[in-house]
Amino acid sequence: MNITTNNEIKCNIALSGLYNVYDPEIGLNVVDLGLIYELHFDEEQKSISCSMTLTTEFCPMGESITENVTTSLQQSFADYHITVNLTFEPHWNVNMVSEEGREFLGR
Amino acid sequence: MIVSKPLSPIISTTPYKVVLPFYLYAALSFLAATLLLFFSTDAFLKHYFQPHILAITHIMALGWATMIILGASHQLVPVLIEGKLYSNTLAHTSFILAAIGIPLLSYGFYEFNMGAPAKWGGRFVVLAMLAYLINIGKSIAKSKNENVHAVFVFTSVLWLLVTVALGLALLYNFTFPFMRHDSVHYLPLHAHIGIIGWFLLLVMGVASRLIPLFLISKYSNPRLLWAIYWLINFSLVAFILIFYFLPLSFSLIPNLLLITAVLLFIYYCRAAYHQRIRKKVDEQVKLSILSAVMMALPLVFLGIILAMFINRHTENNALMVAYGFIIFFGWLTAIILGMTFKTLPFIVWNKVYHRKAGLGKTPNPKDLFSNTVFKWMSVAYLLGFCIFICGLFFPNAHLLKPGAFLLLLTAILYNWNVLKILNHKAP
Repeated sequence: MNITTNNEIKCNIALSGLYNVYDPEIGLNVVDLGLIYELHFDEEQKSISCSMTLTTEFCPMGESITENVTTSLQQSFADYHITVNLTFEPHWNVNMVSEEGREFLGR
Repeated sequence: MIVSKPLSPIISTTPYKVVLPFYLYAALSFLAATLLLFFSTDAFLKHYFQPHILAITHIMALGWATMIILGASHQLVPVLIEGKLYSNTLAHTSFILAAIGIPLLSYGFYEFNMGAPAKWGGRFVVLAMLAYLINIGKSIAKSKNENVHAVFVFTSVLWLLVTVALGLALLYNFTFPFMRHDSVHYLPLHAHIGIIGWFLLLVMGVASRLIPLFLISKYSNPRLLWAIYWLINFSLVAFILIFYFLPLSFSLIPNLLLITAVLLFIYYCRAAYHQRIRKKVDEQVKLSILSAVMMALPLVFLGIILAMFINRHTENNALMVAYGFIIFFGWLTAIILGMTFKTLPFIVWNKVYHRKAGLGKTPNPKDLFSNTVFKWMSVAYLLGFCIFICGLFFPNAHLLKPGAFLLLLTAILYNWNVLKILNHKAP
């Protein structure tokens, strides 16, 4: 898991919510799956920018997953403006799955 | 509270309204085919060129396998090519045309009347596949990434159009003979272009992407897939040339090329399986992996049929019927039975729950169907398939009937689960 952030404390708060957002097919949360690339907090603008990916472009579950991420961040930071950006640079690959995720999938 | 929409400019997938009618139609076709099979078992002990066998084969090939592939591919092609489907209207058009054409064509075969209903059926099917070819071709042309999987799919659709166009020409040849030989002579050509060019290429193109994806496998080998692609196409072209210009005994060469391609594909699936991160493989993927092995079975049969033909210059009818049965009721049906429950629940789940994202606990897509019914369906299918094959070999009508009954039961259980998914509503 390698998430870029400018605010470690708030990032941990965001992640605690995002650990409950699952990829419905795989059954693993988006953090351990390695879908979250960046969480950027702008205290002046009261905004959070989340950069994330999907396991495959045009993933049929993509809309649902990104909406879940938005809702989760909104629940953690009610007075912030949330923006979720999808990126496929770099493309997701299995090496992005965290150790905990591999352990879960290896069961 | 400020609610924001995610910025997702390239995320929109094919709407469920485009895809679901294909699934429903295919499920009902499977039921119709197994019902006809149950009431026509005697026909399977005679020559393979029988009205009922022709009708069942076309319901299985077009109504069941092709319709579900068309439906699933409208959803999966965007995943493969990483681009949008060109036109939903063309997708609806191909559904309507095929949905009208297939029963007309099958009725014509069942009654062995190659007149207006069969011909109109054939015309509708050709137009449906033309609409599908344009849609897939334009989608691939507009996508930014061209990859081996997309090339497999596009080539397979080209072969599909050749298959249905040749089929229509054979229909005309029944009533207005314009070919050098009668239509029965060209059946092996029509059947093999469809089976190898359409089904085999398509299944390999899609499965080579989906199996590693579902297994979360590190394995990737585009060079091997290109080798498989060329082997299959070269084998098919060689078969067509041999059919027209050389004795049939030369067909062993394309058959060997094909066996090599299938063995390489099985190696590919095996490598993907061994390098997977996800250790627990669900029943649906297991059934689909089993079908990859089942691919080799018809080829072994084809080799035996050809060897017997070369040695004795006679056709073994039981083997020929078994060969066709293994392809449509074995290999293709096994893939569809598994993959339906890996794709359909997600499409319906998205339809019902994507607007409810994050608003409360939602069921898993897997909960939209009964896994118990799925397991019983798999048992009925494997038993029915094995018993029916034994009935063809020995040959014994007392084995064919219970085999056909179990396959009918498979179709009933399959339809029950499909309808359960399609009727799912949010609690």
